[in-house]
Amino acid sequence: MRTRANTAIGGALMAILLGAAVTGAFWTPFDPLRINLRARLQAPSPLHWLGTDEFGRDVLSRIMVGAGASVVIAFVTVLLAVTAGMVIGCAAGYIRGWADRIIMAVNDALLAFPGILLALAVMIVVGANKTGLILALGLAYIPSVVRVVRGTVLSIREKEYVEASRVIGNSEVYSMIRHVMPNAIAPVAVLATSMFGWVLLAESALSFLGLGVPPPAPTWGNMLAASRPFMETAAWLSIAPGLCIALTLLGINLLGDSLRDRLDPRMAHG
Amino acid sequence: MLGYLARRLAMTIPTLLLVAIAVFALVRLIPGDPVQVMLGDAADPAQAAELRAQLGLDQPIPVQFVHWIAKLATGDFGHSITNNLAVLPLILDRFQVSAVIVLVAVGLAACIAVPAGLAAAWKQNSLLDLSVVGGATLLLSIPSFWLGLLLLLLFGLKLKWLPVIGYVPFAENFWQAATFIVLPIVTLTMVEIGVLTRMARAASIEVLRLEYVTHARAKGVPEWRVLARHVLPNAFAPTWTLIGLVLGHLLGGIAVIETVFTLPGLGRLLVDSIFARDYPVVQGCLLFTAVIYVVVNLIVDLCYPLFDPRVAVA
Amino acid sequence: MRRCRPSPAWALGLAAVGLLAMLGKAGAETLLRTRLNADIRSTDPGTNRDANTDGVIGHVVEGLVAFREDTSIGPMLADSWTVSNEGKTYTFRLRQGVKFHNGATMTSDDVVWSLKRWLDPATQWRCLSEFSTTGIARIEKIEAPDPQTVAITLDQPTALFLPTLARPDCGQTAIIHRDSVGADGKWIAPIGTGPFKLAEWKRGQYVDIVRFDGYVSRSEPRTGYTGAKDAKVDRVRFNVIPDSSAAKAGLLSGSLDVIMSLSTPDLEGLKSQPEVQLSITPGLALTGILFQTRDPLLKDVRIRRAIALSIDTPQIVDAVMEGTARPNNSALPIGSPFYGEVQSHGYQQNLVEAKKLLVLAGYHGQPIKMITNKRYTYVFDSAMLVQAMAQAVGINIEIEVLDWATQLDRYNRGDYQSMAFTYSARLDPSLSFEMLTGPKASQPRKVWDNAEAQEMLRQSMMIDDRAKRQALFDEMHRRFIADVPMIVLFNNSELTALRKSIKGYAGWLYPQPRFWGVAVE
Repeated sequence: MRTRANTAIGGALMAILLGAAVTGAFWTPFDPLRINLRARLQAPSPLHWLGTDEFGRDVLSRIMVGAGASVVIAFVTVLLAVTAGMVIGCAAGYIRGWADRIIMAVNDALLAFPGILLALAVMIVVGANKTGLILALGLAYIPSVVRVVRGTVLSIREKEYVEASRVIGNSEVYSMIRHVMPNAIAPVAVLATSMFGWVLLAESALSFLGLGVPPPAPTWGNMLAASRPFMETAAWLSIAPGLCIALTLLGINLLGDSLRDRLDPRMAHG
Repeated sequence: MLGYLARRLAMTIPTLLLVAIAVFALVRLIPGDPVQVMLGDAADPAQAAELRAQLGLDQPIPVQFVHWIAKLATGDFGHSITNNLAVLPLILDRFQVSAVIVLVAVGLAACIAVPAGLAAAWKQNSLLDLSVVGGATLLLSIPSFWLGLLLLLLFGLKLKWLPVIGYVPFAENFWQAATFIVLPIVTLTMVEIGVLTRMARAASIEVLRLEYVTHARAKGVPEWRVLARHVLPNAFAPTWTLIGLVLGHLLGGIAVIETVFTLPGLGRLLVDSIFARDYPVVQGCLLFTAVIYVVVNLIVDLCYPLFDPRVAVA
Repeated sequence: MRRCRPSPAWALGLAAVGLLAMLGKAGAETLLRTRLNADIRSTDPGTNRDANTDGVIGHVVEGLVAFREDTSIGPMLADSWTVSNEGKTYTFRLRQGVKFHNGATMTSDDVVWSLKRWLDPATQWRCLSEFSTTGIARIEKIEAPDPQTVAITLDQPTALFLPTLARPDCGQTAIIHRDSVGADGKWIAPIGTGPFKLAEWKRGQYVDIVRFDGYVSRSEPRTGYTGAKDAKVDRVRFNVIPDSSAAKAGLLSGSLDVIMSLSTPDLEGLKSQPEVQLSITPGLALTGILFQTRDPLLKDVRIRRAIALSIDTPQIVDAVMEGTARPNNSALPIGSPFYGEVQSHGYQQNLVEAKKLLVLAGYHGQPIKMITNKRYTYVFDSAMLVQAMAQAVGINIEIEVLDWATQLDRYNRGDYQSMAFTYSARLDPSLSFEMLTGPKASQPRKVWDNAEAQEMLRQSMMIDDRAKRQALFDEMHRRFIADVPMIVLFNNSELTALRKSIKGYAGWLYPQPRFWGVAVE
């Protein structure tokens, strides 16, 4: 029942999000980039449903276009981090020995770097644009995935069915892929959904630092960052993107939960 | 055990060295230098060159690195370029502020999250489970600085219950100091509860369906005993890993919270010094954060056998 | 249920506490609380400093001369001076009876000692390079024929000697007592002659200055950094609060009395607050769009001119500064005494002409990168608006956001196509032009490389004749507008918010606070 509720709510939220993103690619009520200095900082009205920002641009239109931008960035980043992280983490946890030690040493060194500096550095090398952002944030989160995967793998590899698999003669790689990896999916799925949120928020933080997606293109992150000086006088500027981020995260997490429940039915029924 | 500890500690040294080199090089790769920032748009090239020479910035990078490492070995982290303060005491000072907030927040969050996750897993698919997961998901969906700003507006300006600016060290005045850190701790706790609860719940579910739990129940062991002795410790393992990760990340990345609440913490020191290109401070902060991170994770790893005796330590 | 009736002992106790509280209040010092957005760098005037440092130090030390409200030079510690020897020797007559914070009386010995210290390379005085071969003139000798006279001889005449002495970013060439420095030559604390003295510097948290009771004030009314300086509060505390939202919140909740350097979005929220008053004064800083005239695309003046004609400067300024600044296309700030009719002519928006110029130049939509930063909102907003307006005539500007230090680096190396930039205040028109013009081969940061302009600039720095200098600045302005090496948009205004209980504060052209003559009610 809970799974169905999760799927329903999560699905609904994501459908709205995707709908907005797709629509935004073709049509928005106003041109999201069009500056109109005579209509600055207007509160939500029948004309501008979510008001206008400090340049007179329609907030709803920017939210719609920003949906596509932010979500694509977050999604690709998480995909990159999870894929790379699972491969490396499984290898490290399963193989152990010297390979494990080296991987973990580098991993720890990377993890010890506060994400911001790493992201900053990568973006300066690659350039302050969408690709740079994805690369930077992906790199920043791979070590987290590696650590969690390795931790799980360490616990699971000693389990009986893995032992059994080895005993009947399956190769290490086969055992790893067939038995160990699927069990790592559950904790990684949870981490991935958390990570989606972190990336959305990290994008916002980097926008604060001026290294997000360059203006005037909107992303929810840079809209939230830009709304800060107006928090008291024009609250709608921060409520709209903030709420969108929150609802998107909610949707993704709920969907992620139902996905995990389906992948591992034993998790669904206690 | 002691051997393992010694080996792990020895292993951290190459990691730290790697970090030291990376930090040093990285920070100099970023365009712009502290002299330019200090002199601004009225910089006279002759003046700038002289200042650079004084700060030792005109020497080749490997030479600068060797100087830095040599001084590090004697415990001297150097001096800030912007205000000439000794770096290590500055870092320790700021670290106290961040550490209190992070430790209390994560501790509080864990105390709430783990039992909540366990309870939710135990009564899976019940109303309790739904509300716990729903609540946790909601909490981790909210941007922390947004939450912080909203709390500040509400409690600081509208209700005037708590002070808005400033900070007083605990040593000076305990109660006053407490009022300054209540809101940041609350903000951080709320965010972390979201993250930790879900992990605790997932791990608990994983364990609850394991055979030895069914076995214990079949044996007639009382439910609370099953939960406390068998499920809790095992469910704690991945949560524990996450706590380690969170602590490590937070200590460096708490800058946003510190900015919103104007706390003189380590996160803000790092970000400010990056913008000012204050190399000694950036290097010192990052190295310090790396050390803390490594130590925290060492402790996390060492505690694993407590939860799962089958995980060999060596 | 027992009734608690206040006993006589209680009443006495309460009365005693009340009395003590009243006495306490009577003896309490008046405190003015303000804010710095970063800690000061040091207390050594004009050496290891930044704008915040200058602001605090400006209350504690004084020099021979100082800037008046209209940026002309007025006497401070010197009563008067004469210029002789073909403009090379300045003889200052010092004020009598001026006291240092330690009680000692100022004499020409102290002046000579101070000047020699600033000119010593070990001190790292910011204005030292002005007195080197690449500067305005070299100081040949400093003499003190008697305790009330100091004579300084330069190697060539210059119009900038006194303005340089008065520069706040060089500590106003402060006259300090030799006990400010230890026997080993290390700096201790400034023992100056200002109306306040340094009390406590709690690093990272606040700097306190307290009233100097022995201050001997000038008689003429307060003007700029000179005139009467009457410290009406006992203590001024500069709190270090980097976050401007937190500072604003502090002002509104009453824990701060004065906050400076507000940004225009803050104005709206503060205007409606009953306990807050605003002070908006035009300033001397300059914001504009810089072009790299060596860039393959932008070296064509027609394209630069097209950009200048495509924008509506008054509308940009109005939107970005919300009515607190006026449009200005000239290199001289509106507040300068040399700003006149000639300087008020700049660029008029003309879309037809702009399009024509683009066609003539053969521009067909190539992207033009414009660098900006998020540190100064008005710079960022200006870039956004220029981009949008230029778009209307088909000019394709791409905005690139960098952090301030990176942008400074690119500015210093001249490595950009165009950028939205802001210059700090210059107190003399020659310096305003000097910051923009110079030979790019040796000074890549300069935007305007025009040999004739540079020659006129050199002359304006040497000749101390007002009419002649005005003529030079006028001609330089005409060429500046014709060459379009950059588009000046406006001069920043200083926006300060104070609680209504603060009386007597006045902002002025230079963006630094003056807390003498200010009372807390």
